[in-house]
Amino acid sequence: MRVHAFRSKSGDGQTWTVAAIVALQSLSAAFFVADAFADLQRDGISAHIAVEGPIAVSLFAGIAFGARRLRTMLADARRRDSALAAASGALGEVVQAQFAEWRLTAAEADVALFALKGCDVAQIARLRSTATGTVRAQLARAYAKAGVGSRAALVSLFIEDLLNDVPVPAARRAA
Amino acid sequence: MTANTTEASLPMWRWDPLVRITHWGIVVAVIVNALVVEEGSAFHIWVGYGLAALLALRLLWGLIGPPEARFSAFPPNPSRAIAHVREIASGTHTTHASHNPLGALMVYAIWSCLTAIIATGIAMAPPSAAPWTNLEGKEHAETGVQAAAPVAAEREEGGETEERGERDESPLTEIHEIAVNLLYLLIALHLAGVIFEARRSGRQILTAMLPWPTGAKRA
Repeated sequence: MRVHAFRSKSGDGQTWTVAAIVALQSLSAAFFVADAFADLQRDGISAHIAVEGPIAVSLFAGIAFGARRLRTMLADARRRDSALAAASGALGEVVQAQFAEWRLTAAEADVALFALKGCDVAQIARLRSTATGTVRAQLARAYAKAGVGSRAALVSLFIEDLLNDVPVPAARRAA
Repeated sequence: MTANTTEASLPMWRWDPLVRITHWGIVVAVIVNALVVEEGSAFHIWVGYGLAALLALRLLWGLIGPPEARFSAFPPNPSRAIAHVREIASGTHTTHASHNPLGALMVYAIWSCLTAIIATGIAMAPPSAAPWTNLEGKEHAETGVQAAAPVAAEREEGGETEERGERDESPLTEIHEIAVNLLYLLIALHLAGVIFEARRSGRQILTAMLPWPTGAKRA
């Protein structure tokens, strides 16, 4: 969740930069074209206009290109977000199914999920409005049912399956 | 309380940056031209041309932007607007990916009004008489529109231009001012609509357009 927040924020910054540049280009183009139009009215076709024409064209091309780039960036960000949402939803289902298989009580499942999310005992106690002793006992029972001795071991039970395709140095040495 | 926080981790939907930049840019331009600068001053004309650029960019975005920002996502459709009013009356909620049908009518009304204001504004202060024009335009920069009429009149060669300049200016000014007053009315309705919708369906409609990131509301 924290990684997600960080990433969407940085992606947001990029799209904001491009959008701001496109807006600035539009403002510049309006004033530039108005000025070129005035020159044209005053002087007719001249060397000055011959230079201003291509500049105006490139300004508009820049706006069109920037706008299209911005749309692509927004579409990419949306695709990333939905992929992440699908993955996190799938992981949530896996976790709940596993908790059910271990026959965790509702309270134990809640506490274990908070533990997976990285909350410490004091935080969990505050979130659930219970004593830290209660949380510690519930966590211990959850670990026992899962057959692990620590929070790190509990987390790795779930992470392990997601990393199956990543080669591990030790595994390579063994092979 | 449960540990299931999927709702909190779902990103809130926001308008894309370009929609927000053009929206608030136009807001600033309208406020500056209505309340801060002198009517018809050089700065007023500058701001007006800037507003025209932002509106043009938003309209371009309506053709090539992301799905929600496009015209096709919020067609001006009175019968859907009426259906939406019935929905409000019956107390049911449907979520709309873009503007709701009533809001869409408001958007087109405001854009039309702005277009009328810009068109009459440019007619009164054409590029050739605008404050940034070099040479003869520069001398008129301080006086703005008052200077613009004679400059425009000079171009319309011949003797009767002097009176024609005088006569032509007043209907344009009048349309400009009527459209501006209409715009104020539409802005008031727009704000009332947003407040009403926020009370009916939640703060989402407000946060979607806010120019700064809002993430703190996740409990």
